[in-house]
Amino acid sequence: MVCSLEGKLLVGNLERSARKAAAWLVEKRPVRDIRDWGISFSLWPVHFTTACCGAEFAASAAPKYDAERLGFLPFIGIRQCNLLFIEGTLSKKMAEAAIWVYEQMPEPKFVVGMGACAIDGGIFWNSYNIVRPMDILPVHVFIPGCPPRPEAVAQAIIMLQRKIRRGELVRYETR
Amino acid sequence: MISSGERELELLIGPQHPASGHMRLVAKVDGDVVVELRPNIGYVHRSVEKLAEVKKYLQIIPLVERPSLADTTANNLAYVMALEKLLGIEPPERAKYLRTLLAEINRIHSHLYGLGIHGVMIGSSTAYMWCFGDREPFLELAQELTGARLTYSYIIPGGVRRDLPAGLGERAERVLRYMENRMRDYFNLYFNNPVVRARLEGVGVLSRHDAINLGITGPNLRASGVAYDVRRAEPYAAYPELEFDIVTEEAGDSFARVMVRVREIVESMRIIRQVIRKIPEGPILHESYEKLIPPKLRESMKQRGMVKFPSVFANLRVPPGEAISRVEGGRGEVVFHIVSDGKLSPYRMRMVTPSFRNVILFEHLTRGVRVADIPAIYGSLDYFPPEADR
Repeated sequence: MVCSLEGKLLVGNLERSARKAAAWLVEKRPVRDIRDWGISFSLWPVHFTTACCGAEFAASAAPKYDAERLGFLPFIGIRQCNLLFIEGTLSKKMAEAAIWVYEQMPEPKFVVGMGACAIDGGIFWNSYNIVRPMDILPVHVFIPGCPPRPEAVAQAIIMLQRKIRRGELVRYETR
Repeated sequence: MISSGERELELLIGPQHPASGHMRLVAKVDGDVVVELRPNIGYVHRSVEKLAEVKKYLQIIPLVERPSLADTTANNLAYVMALEKLLGIEPPERAKYLRTLLAEINRIHSHLYGLGIHGVMIGSSTAYMWCFGDREPFLELAQELTGARLTYSYIIPGGVRRDLPAGLGERAERVLRYMENRMRDYFNLYFNNPVVRARLEGVGVLSRHDAINLGITGPNLRASGVAYDVRRAEPYAAYPELEFDIVTEEAGDSFARVMVRVREIVESMRIIRQVIRKIPEGPILHESYEKLIPPKLRESMKQRGMVKFPSVFANLRVPPGEAISRVEGGRGEVVFHIVSDGKLSPYRMRMVTPSFRNVILFEHLTRGVRVADIPAIYGSLDYFPPEADR
């Protein structure tokens, strides 16, 4: 590929070089820090209520606890979201939908397992119709409790933000 | 894809969607008109009834609360009432009043939850924020009484778990006065809002005849002009001694269903005031259980107002037989049927929840409405999927 810039002639695959340079730059400080800081304050969970913990999830977005001040805005479109909350029990029928939703979300994406049921089944541990979320999805943060209080949800968001800012979760692959 | 000559389009709504999740609506639409709408339920089926057969009687109390997390007291109370019928014990008077108190607090915050979710569905974020914000004072009252925000497990066989904390009466009065003032704001901004009226009035009309024939229950039934309430039809707890009206509306549309909930909040506040005024002194646990607790613990239990479980509760044996109990929860009538064969777990436990009985309305009310009316109807039913799926 050949292209010209101010009369000079550049030879080589400029597109690939640019992509390589961007990937190199985005993984370097301080760009990486700025990027992670930005991601950590725009965690948009998708409206995907799997079970009863949704009642407390809704309360955490409501006035008293107001998780929106942490950059946490429950949103409708899957394609604009980067956070999936597994709210409580995941039944077999719902697990199928959870995988579809997860696959449609753009990278980088995170999963939070909310409630005892999302950890190991909780009170429904011996039910015939449940799936343990860590078997099908990569869960980054677990919240214990049945149901967890809204404070615990806020705590989980802060933990996830710290994890992102430490650079543990977001990785851009160089293609 | 529409092939030539075909007019109907199948539209899938959910299970990932903005309104209180966990179900899929399969709509057949012709242009903007819904020809048929079938709810696809079962996304939250967790086999509560089957699990009850391997859990001990006291372990079932938290289990039956989980399906309807916004309205836990109704399930807890109905289960314990059926259990008490089998055991042949009657709770003391004070415990009955405390049960009523918690049930009414729960009814208020369950209705506010429903109204808030309805607000989200028809696109009014203000309603959601206000309802969920005003729900918190009631949750705090319940928390002070029981120690938990939503899953109280407060009602146990033969009584309740904790006594009324000192000064709760005044704090409850303050919360009720606050809510009464807020009610005026709600009407000014939301219920009398022309946009809300236009979206809800005359939408999803359920006639009195259909409501009875389909076996609808709770506020959805009363919105169609049927004055049926289990609290009056088959009184339980302290309801026979309290004064309250059954709220009914004649119109049967979405707005009437919302109005019934709003006016029931006012009625519940009236009941809470009466309970706090009338509550008698006395024990909060049945004497046959209280005498099983060692004397020293009994003393400290009376001082602290918290019940120590007698050791018989660990392996509670229930005489063979069966019992049915009915309770009016926030969403309607909750029925529990327990069959006991004298072992440590029930032989069979059946729970009939109001949402399961109301799910037929999705199909019935949405025939021939516009697509945009689906959320207005869905929200007004106050349908809670985990409760229907169990």
